[in-house]
Amino acid sequence: MYSIVADQLTKQFGTFTAVDHISFQVKRGEIFGFLGANGAGKTTAIKMMSGLLLPTSGTATIAGYDILTQSKLIKKHIGYMSQRFSLYNDLTVFENMQLFGTIYKIPRKELKDRIYESLRSLDMEKQSGTLVSSIPLGWKQKLAFATAILHHPDIVFLDEPTSGVDPIVRREFWKLIYQTASQGVTILVTTHYMDEAEYCNRISIMSDGQMKLIGTPSELKEQMGVNSVDEVFVKFVNR
Amino acid sequence: MILKKEFIHIFRDKITLFLVLAMPIALVLLFGFTISSEIRNAKISVLDQANDTQSKQLCKKLSASGYFQIVSYPGSEQEADSDFKLKNIKLALVIPPHFEESLSREHIATLQVINDVSDLNVASILNNYVRAVVHDFENDYNSTADMAQNFTINIKMLYNPTSNSVYMFVPGIITLIMILVTALMTSITLAREKETGTMRMLLITPVSKIHIIIGKVIPYMIISFLSTIIILVISVLVFKMPINGSIPFLLFLCIIFMLTSASFGMLISSVSTSQLDAMMITMMGLFLPTVLLSGFLFPLNSMPLFFQLLANIFPAKWFILAIKDVMIKGSGFMDIWRYMLVLFLMAVVFIAFSIRQLDKRN
Repeated sequence: MYSIVADQLTKQFGTFTAVDHISFQVKRGEIFGFLGANGAGKTTAIKMMSGLLLPTSGTATIAGYDILTQSKLIKKHIGYMSQRFSLYNDLTVFENMQLFGTIYKIPRKELKDRIYESLRSLDMEKQSGTLVSSIPLGWKQKLAFATAILHHPDIVFLDEPTSGVDPIVRREFWKLIYQTASQGVTILVTTHYMDEAEYCNRISIMSDGQMKLIGTPSELKEQMGVNSVDEVFVKFVNR
Repeated sequence: MILKKEFIHIFRDKITLFLVLAMPIALVLLFGFTISSEIRNAKISVLDQANDTQSKQLCKKLSASGYFQIVSYPGSEQEADSDFKLKNIKLALVIPPHFEESLSREHIATLQVINDVSDLNVASILNNYVRAVVHDFENDYNSTADMAQNFTINIKMLYNPTSNSVYMFVPGIITLIMILVTALMTSITLAREKETGTMRMLLITPVSKIHIIIGKVIPYMIISFLSTIIILVISVLVFKMPINGSIPFLLFLCIIFMLTSASFGMLISSVSTSQLDAMMITMMGLFLPTVLLSGFLFPLNSMPLFFQLLANIFPAKWFILAIKDVMIKGSGFMDIWRYMLVLFLMAVVFIAFSIRQLDKRN
């Protein structure tokens, strides 16, 4: 059972091709890494898969829904968290979660339970009434992730979720990702940290809008004859 | 829920809230001056009850002066009155019956001037012009007649009997406040969501774009509406400004204008990428032209043609025309529906354009 099936997905802006005929599948509960230099087309691909942008040609099925015709349904079944911290700074932790929970139409009482449960697992119960602007960045990122999965999405898109965060928080963050994936949620994550790429079940490397490499970290290392994903990436770029 | 969130934003931001509510009061109390300027070809009516050689001579002089353009010769005072609303005349001159006769026999004649003093600036300037033309006429007459004549001009004020300049600036202030609060706040709040990335968060959720826009704009419209009411109350209590039209209709007109202002704000935020951008564009692109080109401080009909045409694309001009008519002349829907239609169409175009931009940018 695949959560994401991309078929010749293409996006052109004028004469520039941002995403060039990419095809891949991601299994349910899989952690799929999306690597590539800045401008390689990762963000555009995510925008198409989350229903924000229509492809120029090709198509994709997300959580069983077609991106061309069912973008409204897709939006209900995905979660999203971006590289830039994107909760409201002048709302409290609870208010932020409540806002997004209400948008996804979670019943009021159940929403409250889910928020407290989620805060408890983050060990942030005491902060529920704190303004988001006054909590540290690492916590904010974890909070943003918790908010993105509050409505129990089938797939979560994480766009550089750990940029600018210290290594300890990054490790904690990945624990959260594993926990979530073990519950059957598919994770698609973009990152610049190659050590993080090792944590993914499978990774792909994009360049000039094309998906150049795809496989498990160990497959790719073997294929390129190197010891780490970092070296895979460097070797790939210099090729 | 976006509505509720937006209200939380507003109430947490105490400084903005204070500014938005205190500014109208400060502005209303500060503005007390008007600026005058030359006027040409003002539309007037002449109620010629004499219809003799001398009265025609006077009319000819008025037209030849370049200040006036006689657009009608009404038959009665009632008809002259209705010309103010229907033909948009600025002044009506009443020449008494037997004008020529009384000049030659009694050496005295009383002319009556009826002014539209809803624009005090224009009215007082026009009165001076009338005096100058009549004086000229007097000199001409005296040079042909053998005895010196004496004219009396009796000026009757219409619509603004106490000639208070507050009548001029209150509609202007209401316009400025509404633009400032509604357009500026709307453009900043939308630009802020874009700047912080929360707009993308919202767009990726199932909530519709129209819902986002409505949720973000309504709180500012409500605040702006409160400001408007504050100004109106101060104007009536402190400056004794009359509201001759119906109050519900006046408030309805304000809501239409707020909608136009808010949509202008959306338009601005759709082309700007940061809050600073949005603020600069609102100030330079909307606020400044509104002050200069709305006819609030400087009479529009004394501006070069280019600026008169340019003024048409700013919502403020239409709103000031409409609100002055409602407050001072007591006009109803049938008199000013054209202005309201212009404002409404502007709002529709701006909103449609900004929703399309929202699609493109994110």
